[in-house]
Amino acid sequence: MRNWFIGSMIATAAAMVVFSLMAVPAAAQAPAAIPRTADGHPDFSGIWQVMNTAAWDLQDHSAQKGVPAGLGVVEGNEIPYKPEALAKKQENYKNRATADPESKCYLSGVPRIMYMPFPFQIFQTPAQLTILYEYVHAVRYIYTNGTPHPKGPIEWWMGDSRAKWEGDTLVVDNVHFNTETWFDRAGNFHSENLHVVERISFIDRDHLNYEVTIEDPTVFTRPWKMSMPIYRHMERNFQLLEYECYTFDNEFHVTPPGTGPNNR
Amino acid sequence: MSNRSFGLIVAAMAVPVMAALMSVHVVAQGGRARVAPIDPNFQAPHTPWGDPDLRGAWGQRNNITTYSLQAGKDDREEHTRIGGQAPAMGKPIVDPPDGKVPYQPWAAAHAQFLWEQHRHPTKPEWLDPVARGFLEGVPRINLQGGFEIQQYPGYVVFVFDYGHTYRVVPVDGRPHPAVRLKTWMGDSRGHWDGNTLVIDVTNLNDQSWMDIVGTFHSDALRLTERWSFVGTDRIDYEVTIVDPAVYTKPWKMAWNMGRNPLDEHWENAVWEGNRLGGLGPEFWGGAKAHDYK
Repeated sequence: MRNWFIGSMIATAAAMVVFSLMAVPAAAQAPAAIPRTADGHPDFSGIWQVMNTAAWDLQDHSAQKGVPAGLGVVEGNEIPYKPEALAKKQENYKNRATADPESKCYLSGVPRIMYMPFPFQIFQTPAQLTILYEYVHAVRYIYTNGTPHPKGPIEWWMGDSRAKWEGDTLVVDNVHFNTETWFDRAGNFHSENLHVVERISFIDRDHLNYEVTIEDPTVFTRPWKMSMPIYRHMERNFQLLEYECYTFDNEFHVTPPGTGPNNR
Repeated sequence: MSNRSFGLIVAAMAVPVMAALMSVHVVAQGGRARVAPIDPNFQAPHTPWGDPDLRGAWGQRNNITTYSLQAGKDDREEHTRIGGQAPAMGKPIVDPPDGKVPYQPWAAAHAQFLWEQHRHPTKPEWLDPVARGFLEGVPRINLQGGFEIQQYPGYVVFVFDYGHTYRVVPVDGRPHPAVRLKTWMGDSRGHWDGNTLVIDVTNLNDQSWMDIVGTFHSDALRLTERWSFVGTDRIDYEVTIVDPAVYTKPWKMAWNMGRNPLDEHWENAVWEGNRLGGLGPEFWGGAKAHDYK
């Protein structure tokens, strides 16, 4: 018993030494590493982009022509459709090339705009985040000024976003969606009763953790979640450019007469 | 230098600058003026990082429509015929003094052709790009309703009510991208000249029209905008337009802007509601791209 007691004391002392060694770098690292605004909250300003294929398919998928294979971003890899809704999803999938609203260059909705394969820029004040997207120049305003959602019924493509801080996590509540958007090219869809809650926080100063809870009792049997990292663009003088999706298939591009390179 | 003393120096510089700006107009217009007077003692507020503080919601005050920048007699008559009324139709072109776009002769002929087409276009490419749901370009977007100016260290950001359009203007001295990159809204680079934000706009494509009736340009277009903060509720706007492929010389437009109540921006989804766009190439008879050469 005495040897055991001494042994356990030594083990405990060793553990305390180890923990105290671990504690010093952790305390020096986490609060100082992330950028903060003057009012002390994490500052998400900057240009960001995901590095996954969620916009094509939220779940595990093999490659198709022009689309890389991808691991799923859905926790548990299952999307809990009601039986009749699952049939609709499968029909969507079959017709996806033309049925996906994104194929008509319509606004992507939330959360899909966050994982479209294009950069977006966050500007932040204490009252709101303004997010400008390169993809079809979409815009989101996320109000952090304590205002409530406007009264519905309202059906917007991008919903209405009101957020609050829980410690260093921004919790964004989104309602007032129309029925027109899909979550991905694979046909995952929702109704106008969609309710999206996003949780955004820093992993470190150049990476965000982005978690989304999807609730839609018309379509799903329970809420479900997706999560993914978002990466900061590090290129010098990086900037948003344009992706005016609907101008490509419309073959109306004409160089005005007399202005071609040979005329100048 | 502290922000406060910098602000005082900038304010002192603003007085002779404003004297020069007094010659910038209350633009000729048909309707009643709602332009705030210039305050000769105006001390512009500054952001915490020392730039003149233009933040807020703004809109033009001169009844300029995006129908026709030249706003001539023909335009007025046509607008009345379409809409059943004669609007005030402010005239934004201040140079040349006759208020006409200084087209090269071939370009004047093309502009006349587009004017004749604009109500009954025989090809989709002769229909206003904005009616097709495409972006407005610059400076037209500045006339298309209201907008908000946001400011951050290193950036001025314009967010427009129309079609969730935005312009990001770095004010940190970085260069424009290569000339080959073409965009609808141009690439903007800004710097401060006293209380005036000067924006150099390049990298425009040749696709946007400056008004509905077809004031067009090439992708050699280059703009210099001056956003002059001359009173708490007033910005005087002037733009110099250069395009040696289309015009005989640079020309200028100017108008006054006033401060609006800052409300939330609620969604304005243009492409999604555009029935023309949703119809696709089959409707347009399989129109193909072609050059006029």
